[in-house]
Amino acid sequence: MSAGPDRTVAPLIELRGLAKTYEAGGTQICALRPTDLTVRHGAFLTVMGPSGSGKSTLLNLFGLLMRPSAGTYLLEGRPVEGLDDDATSAVRCRMIGMVFQSFNLLSHLTILENVCVPMQYAGVPRSRMRKRGKELLDQFGLEGRYGSRPTQLSGGQCQRVAIARALANDPPVILADEPTGNLDEKTGQEGLDIFQKLHGAGKTIIMVTHNPVYRKYATQAVTIHDGRAVEG
Amino acid sequence: MNALEMAVTVYASLTRHLIRSLLATLGIVLGIAAVVAMLAIGEGGRQEALRQIESQGVDNIIVRSVKPAEGNVQQTSRSYTQRYGITQRDVEHIEGVFENVRLMVPVMDVRRDIFEGQQTTDIRAVATTPEFLEVTRCRLVDRRSRFLVPTDGKVLDPVCVVGVKAARRLFGHRDPLGQTVVIGNVSFRVVGLMESPGGGRLGGQFELNNIVCMPIETARSLWGGITFRMGRGMAEQVDYDFLYLAAKDIQSIPGTAGRLRTYLRSVHPQVDYEVQVPYELLQSTRKTQRIFTVVMTSIAAISLLVGGIGIMNIMLANIFERTREIGVRRALGARKRDILWQFLSESVLLTSIGGGLGSGLGIATAAVAETVSRMGGEAGLKAVVTTESLVVALAVSVVTGITFGTHPAWKAAQLDPLTALRHE
Repeated sequence: MSAGPDRTVAPLIELRGLAKTYEAGGTQICALRPTDLTVRHGAFLTVMGPSGSGKSTLLNLFGLLMRPSAGTYLLEGRPVEGLDDDATSAVRCRMIGMVFQSFNLLSHLTILENVCVPMQYAGVPRSRMRKRGKELLDQFGLEGRYGSRPTQLSGGQCQRVAIARALANDPPVILADEPTGNLDEKTGQEGLDIFQKLHGAGKTIIMVTHNPVYRKYATQAVTIHDGRAVEG
Repeated sequence: MNALEMAVTVYASLTRHLIRSLLATLGIVLGIAAVVAMLAIGEGGRQEALRQIESQGVDNIIVRSVKPAEGNVQQTSRSYTQRYGITQRDVEHIEGVFENVRLMVPVMDVRRDIFEGQQTTDIRAVATTPEFLEVTRCRLVDRRSRFLVPTDGKVLDPVCVVGVKAARRLFGHRDPLGQTVVIGNVSFRVVGLMESPGGGRLGGQFELNNIVCMPIETARSLWGGITFRMGRGMAEQVDYDFLYLAAKDIQSIPGTAGRLRTYLRSVHPQVDYEVQVPYELLQSTRKTQRIFTVVMTSIAAISLLVGGIGIMNIMLANIFERTREIGVRRALGARKRDILWQFLSESVLLTSIGGGLGSGLGIATAAVAETVSRMGGEAGLKAVVTTESLVVALAVSVVTGITFGTHPAWKAAQLDPLTALRHE
């Protein structure tokens, strides 16, 4: 990824016939039918659909957390679906920021240490890593709380820490899996505002959500039914 | 992830459940403590044995007269005299036949009291020849000191050389040289002060630092054949109490000792002698040491196996409990080998802490054992903790951590990130 993509020409993500099938009890289950999709730099993509439709499967494929059964996944013009484990980890580390529904913060670490975890794997020197971590926490209104544990924070604060962690290595794309699902309406809206700001700052956001209201923030939308992804 | 970050991550993980982490190391702590303590006591015993053997002179063969249960009793008109031990004939035979003997030094216990004021003491008076100093590895303490010389025996001069401990007892802080020692009822002038640096014993019996040496000829001229009364009409006669034979070289010792034993068996119908060969004792001690080492190694292996299995169990439980954390780390960019190193480092750190604590506990245990065994002023155990034993203990701890931590760490690294993330 060091060549530096031409953002005006190459799409950030391009799926060509990407599909995922599972085998369960001798039966083939199609979680995602062959899907073609292009996501350009700076897009805000929402992925919606009922439970079990294949939204999470698509998000996990985007996040390189599972391998597709068929098709090609191009990230900044380069195929990534067949990379070995080390290369896949490197792409996850530098290109993709993840925000989980339950935030998945590590409870035994401070929030600053949580934010620093992706930078540890990117080999960022300690002093720079801590400086960047503090800047991110400050940015999300958590200044002075660096030493707090996730258990000492509210849901909204935890979400902000999770977003700060996703931004740690300044990846071009942020994947968010139901990021407001565990929050009340007000806090959820605050979270969404953050994603909007990130989008405004040029980040590409891919968000899985149940909430059709969020569709209005998206520049691009995908709806999935029974593993079939339909754009629009 | 670099080494510093790994260390920070591992530290954070271990301190998360500090008590559990410490309990996990308990097997290693006790195993290493037992090994360090036993090695310290074993090493102390070995050094003490070697010191005693070497203080007798490794190239010496020592024959000691031993009173048999039923001796060669000769009835005279008024008393019974029991003769036993090394005879003048033995000395002459050995001198003439044993060509590999470089020096032969006879020693007689003159069995006369030495007085400190009006009080008798436990200081032993022995009569010997000028070569005594060499074969017993003693040295003269004062520059003005001299040992016995051939002239002393020729002119029957009543001179003596005193061991340092005996001198302290007899003269306190006064200069012993030129002082007089009363042995029996004869006054001897002190011409030398000697010391056995290793605290050796004469034929394994009398403390060399606590004896007084006189010329053998002077003793004979004063008291004749050393016959001494045992009371109730019984008396004993011993020509020589000890005979030191210094071999020309170490290699000839086993052969010379064998021939000597054969000769003594042939001329002494009763076993009224004991042949001591420090070289053989040294060999035997080394063999014992090897056996001890094998036993120690086996005990160490068993304790560390048990401790290692404990660590493995804890690590497996840890990994199960932290499956979701592994998933999160993988999702955030950790490679398989980052996870492997993290858990392997945790295991090695746990066992190293166990090794460190165990070494400390082992040193303390050895010190306590030494103190307890010496209570009451008696000579007891000696514990010597060597740097090597501590290095070995720590190295073994690390190896245990690697051996028993690899499987759990590998298992953690192989977890599918998505499956791990979904783990509840």
